[in-house]
Amino acid sequence: MINLQNMKKLWISALILSSLLSSCVAVKPYEQVNLNDPDMVLVSIKAKKFVTTFQTYREGASGASGGKSGGGCGCN
Amino acid sequence: MKRILLILGGLLLTKVYAQTSNDTVFKKRALDNTEVNWLLSYYNQSGDHAAVTGGIGNEKLKDFAQNIQVSLPVSADHVLNVDFTVSAYTSASSSNLNPFTGASRGDDDDDDDDDDDKWLDNNTGSAITGTPWVASSGASYKDVWLNFNANFQHYSDDRNKIFGVSASIADEFDYFSAGGGLDFTYIFNEKNSEISLGTNVYFDHWRPEYPTEIKTYFETGGNLNADFFKDVPIWDENGNPTVKTGNNTWRPSSEGLIENKARNTYVLKIGFSQILSRNLQFSLFTDLTYQTGWLANPMQRVYFADKPNYYIGNAADIPRYTSKENKGVFQLADDFERLPGKRFKFPLGLRVNYYVNEFMVLRSYYRYYTDDWGLQSHTAELEVPLKISSGFTLYPSYRYYIQSAVKYFAPYEGHYSTRKYYTSDYDLSAFTAHQFGMGVKYTDIFTRMKWWRIGVKSIHLDLNRYVRSNGLKAFIISTNLQFVFE
Repeated sequence: MINLQNMKKLWISALILSSLLSSCVAVKPYEQVNLNDPDMVLVSIKAKKFVTTFQTYREGASGASGGKSGGGCGCN
Repeated sequence: MKRILLILGGLLLTKVYAQTSNDTVFKKRALDNTEVNWLLSYYNQSGDHAAVTGGIGNEKLKDFAQNIQVSLPVSADHVLNVDFTVSAYTSASSSNLNPFTGASRGDDDDDDDDDDDKWLDNNTGSAITGTPWVASSGASYKDVWLNFNANFQHYSDDRNKIFGVSASIADEFDYFSAGGGLDFTYIFNEKNSEISLGTNVYFDHWRPEYPTEIKTYFETGGNLNADFFKDVPIWDENGNPTVKTGNNTWRPSSEGLIENKARNTYVLKIGFSQILSRNLQFSLFTDLTYQTGWLANPMQRVYFADKPNYYIGNAADIPRYTSKENKGVFQLADDFERLPGKRFKFPLGLRVNYYVNEFMVLRSYYRYYTDDWGLQSHTAELEVPLKISSGFTLYPSYRYYIQSAVKYFAPYEGHYSTRKYYTSDYDLSAFTAHQFGMGVKYTDIFTRMKWWRIGVKSIHLDLNRYVRSNGLKAFIISTNLQFVFE
């Protein structure tokens, strides 16, 4: 069984943290040069697509990785 | 006076014209040029816990996969993304769905009437052999998985809202999938913050393939002297032939074959990302997943500790069945994998990227996962792009993974027939895994390499070595070529 209490605490913490952080001083677009570097993207690098796929098949966990969550294949 | 009035009139007209021209706001296209990514990969694994043969046996598998992703600017505000994947694999484990070689058995085109004549009637040997340690030549040795995805995006004029709709279809020899989804992204706080919401549904179904002995047993109504079993002795644990019409011989679980072949998946995706400074940003995201239907894999055998063992093949190999020295005998399954018809998954991921300097970026990833089958896991990964020149970047990486077992897992001969759910799939067991990676990318932002209007933007080569604590080892090499159409 999933520990619902732990899940609730995790989600509430994440939401509070997110709302606090969103009130930080904004970085202007002209100051975002470093953030726009291709290696700074907040997603998995494209060349690792099939690496993520085999991890989905070979491990029990899935999702929150840019890969499948269980649908679309007879995988975990 | 007239001159003053003329000047004033001219100024007024200029102001009106300026007002009108200010109504025309420059809008950058959502995507300037068509982009294509072409990915190729080769995957190779080995291990000794094949799920198709009940948790022991050869896990050798090779896979060649190819994926093409195309992003097309349909208009200034719309982008169409399509991708197509072909994945062809050969698998020793899958081949042992029908592990028996010799005379024609099961659905394979291995008909060889001559082999029937080689059947030995001295009850110590058999022309029919099988072993979980060697791949058989059956049709299930190889397969191709095809997948097509399409996603259409609409960008608002200020580019702060993105709406998307998607569809997907996938097919392989024992499984078909059709799915769709919607997603929405909202960028705010001077583009420092981003919230995304999305949903995906998959309406899939099995075309179930079963272990050959179980399938034949139910198709013949339990007649062990017909079809696959005709003239084939079934040995007990001591290598003695059993009376196939009696009670002391092999019978699989009475649960029968699958009736409801549907497998549906519902995903709710939520994400939040935030810029923290000029060099630091993070994102937090989840894919809440609910699955219903037949969630087990009917190909995967299970053996019960409280049931006698029965074999087909060379009886002399029975004492060494679990060893790779076993070349000729195969244990008949007590049942195939059965798991609950519902599963709820909760993964929570975090990415934090830090721009150290023009030579180095730190990319980190962490995921916590839990589900209602009892599995919990932690994933931590660090990747450090190193720009060694204006065009070349190295990508060393390390990933650590640890999971607990689902509550329905037990190793070979570890289950009891009184249980309702059981699996011996080591992908659902407790283990840790280490993955070491190295990549190199060449980037040409001016796309000087061109064929006609196609410019090569980057070439990325990536190698990874994966090692699991329960013996599975894997190696994968991938390449990604990125093109733009100008």
